[in-house]
Amino acid sequence: MKTKRWLRLLAVLFSFALVAASCGDDDDESADDGDTTEDTGDDGGGELEEAPGFDGETIRVGIISDLSGPAAVIGEPLTNGNRVFFEALNAEGGIAGQYPVELVEVDSTYNPATGVQVYNQIKEDVAVIGQILGTPVTNAIIESLEQDGIIASPASLDSLWVREPNLIPVGAPYQIQMINGFDHYFNEGDGDVDSDVVCALVQDDPYGEAGLAGLEFAAENIGFEIEAITRYVSGDTDFSAQMNELEDAGCTVNAFVALPSVTGSALGAAATNGYAPQWIGTSPTWINVLAQSELAPYLEANFTVISDAPDWGDTSVPGMERLIADQEEYAPDQVPDGYFIFGYYEAQSITALLEKAVELGDLSREGIQTALEELGTVSYGGLTGDYTYGPPEERVPPRNSNIAAVVPDAPNGLENQTMDYEADYVDDFEL
Amino acid sequence: MAVLTRRRNHRMVVDYADDLRLFGTPWKRVGLVVLVGLYLFVPVLFADLTFSWLPDIAQTAVQAFFNLNTLAYVGVFAIGAIGLNLLTGYTGQISLGHAVFLGVGAYTAAYVGNTYSWPMILWLPAATLAGFLVGAAIGPFALRLRGLYLVVVTLGLVFVGDHIFRNWESVTAGNTGVSTTAAEPVLGPLDFTGLELFGHEFTTEQSMFWLIWFFVALTALLVKNIVRTRPGRALQAIRERDLAAEIIGVDLSRYKIMAFAISSGIASLAGALYGALQLFVSPVDFALLVSIQFIAIIIIGGLGTVYGSIIGALLIGGLPRIIDELSRSQDLPGVGGDVGGVDGLISVSSLNQIIFGLAIAAVLLIESRGVAALWERSKLYFRTWPFTQ
Repeated sequence: MKTKRWLRLLAVLFSFALVAASCGDDDDESADDGDTTEDTGDDGGGELEEAPGFDGETIRVGIISDLSGPAAVIGEPLTNGNRVFFEALNAEGGIAGQYPVELVEVDSTYNPATGVQVYNQIKEDVAVIGQILGTPVTNAIIESLEQDGIIASPASLDSLWVREPNLIPVGAPYQIQMINGFDHYFNEGDGDVDSDVVCALVQDDPYGEAGLAGLEFAAENIGFEIEAITRYVSGDTDFSAQMNELEDAGCTVNAFVALPSVTGSALGAAATNGYAPQWIGTSPTWINVLAQSELAPYLEANFTVISDAPDWGDTSVPGMERLIADQEEYAPDQVPDGYFIFGYYEAQSITALLEKAVELGDLSREGIQTALEELGTVSYGGLTGDYTYGPPEERVPPRNSNIAAVVPDAPNGLENQTMDYEADYVDDFEL
Repeated sequence: MAVLTRRRNHRMVVDYADDLRLFGTPWKRVGLVVLVGLYLFVPVLFADLTFSWLPDIAQTAVQAFFNLNTLAYVGVFAIGAIGLNLLTGYTGQISLGHAVFLGVGAYTAAYVGNTYSWPMILWLPAATLAGFLVGAAIGPFALRLRGLYLVVVTLGLVFVGDHIFRNWESVTAGNTGVSTTAAEPVLGPLDFTGLELFGHEFTTEQSMFWLIWFFVALTALLVKNIVRTRPGRALQAIRERDLAAEIIGVDLSRYKIMAFAISSGIASLAGALYGALQLFVSPVDFALLVSIQFIAIIIIGGLGTVYGSIIGALLIGGLPRIIDELSRSQDLPGVGGDVGGVDGLISVSSLNQIIFGLAIAAVLLIESRGVAALWERSKLYFRTWPFTQ
């Protein structure tokens, strides 16, 4: 009897819950209906309808960066680049001259799981995601983006992004960087296919795999073997094992796919051992402080960085003048930094996307998706190569790279030796 | 006689049936009703409440805590922690390998979902079974090893697991990680990516809350049933002293392996649900830190209690989120809330890690049996009042 009595109570409670649930939902619906009617009223005045992350005036853009993880040295200048571009844009009225942008910033700590969780925290509150820092984090969030119909800009150059319907990538992928870097080394630089021993030190994650795929493609086309591939896990600090492996294998030129926090300790271990091969690094291996470090002479002699970016302050590039002017006005403390440039042109891609959506008259999730499909070619004023967007299968990313040497006195510590280098067969790499 | 039995004080235990009662006291029954009420109402009511009558800071904190997405993750942690508590809290076998079993569950669900398109009624049991079997295979190690030695072996398990997750590419897709969307949380007519009940549509967050907390209740009930019956007494005997347990007739190998297998099966269930929440899993999701988090949850919550695991999960899962939201909305002094412009001494996630560490140290110093023990102590205070010391 006793048992039955409280079971009955539970049943009553359950039915209450259902009633409450349905009432609650009714309220929501009627509230929504109310909003829609009001919005339609606004429409008559030429205003855009409210949408997630857009209250009719301000467009909210999510930033999923890394503030305290291994890529924090990238995340800070990168987000500063985003911020400066949007602040300058807001000073002129904002998107399409009338909708200012507000950034909603969260910290992924470069951890995919955390990335998904912070994404879930902000997704209802933003129209687009203006930055997802890092290949592993982007990889983890893609499925959620598709489910929610949100467009995001990856601050990562993996070639996987090119064909992702919910991403608006910028720049030539890492694969392309490695292909161009090695092609340049063997055809224009000091490389000799017969005597050089090619190896790789890569991060043990999707970013590392991306660089490696490029190296393998270059190996096929140039005709060299990859003697040894050694990996490290993000967060490692001791690289003596990897350096011994590379040295024992007799490697004379190494692909280096890593984060800047690793460059110092990894190449520092090599320098300490007196091991001095040629290192060819992807763009995220570099950070300006390396040029001021004790390692600078070693890097000057042995390190090449492949990137999209022009030299800091190189006004022969059309977009550079405005970048410097904006930086001086809105972030005077910002030191010359390649990631700042990346953040700046990344914000341009988001702006182009949002302006297209405003032009099409729809800032809803679906509206922004349509805008991406109809966006066409976006030019970044030479800060990175022009990118043709559109439906995923029709997108054309840039395939040129800049080959930079370490010059400690240069503003960003790098000086491009060759601009816009493209290996002959780079178009054959399937993206 | 029957009348006498009914009027008897609920604390008076005269037979085995009394001893076994799950909800033996009126208060426990009230508690159950409250919990079921919360389960049903929280997703509906708290989704839209703004708590505007609270002071600003409390408002942000409450909103952050009752965020359904946070609570769903907390639920996953609670399930895993209940499993670990069975092994560590009740059986005394400390394991640092718990994260690996979450991984086994998540990858199994992803694999059978992607390859065979199994529905949830199959992928969820498959994931649980996979964890159960792997756990049963690990169990025999515990027969030869105790205490610190077992900790080191299970620590090794984390790295073996990590290596397998990174290199068994046909199943785990290696370093890149694998999408778990093919393992859909759909049970017959119930689609938990957006429930439709009685003509009303609910959001993914609401639906997943109901799904995950249903399994929290289910595993809690399962483990509670194990520990209050004969196998549970055997497990606790092993915890106190395994030699003595063997002498009084407990089959050590059977019970130790059973504890490992069930605990791992539950962890894999949690892992599969984690996959359904995250939509994507990669090896770093199941790293050593996750195992340590589970240990922290059961230590802070209370070793050897089922509800302690849930309290611990609420604290460990909810606290970071509250701090995160507070620092973003309130400008906590010295905390740099924004990415890219570290104005403060410390970033939000570093602050979270420090608080996490301090919480474990504080619990061990103040009440080493966890938050659950604080609750038990206050109950005892009122029960024995006015003779409380």
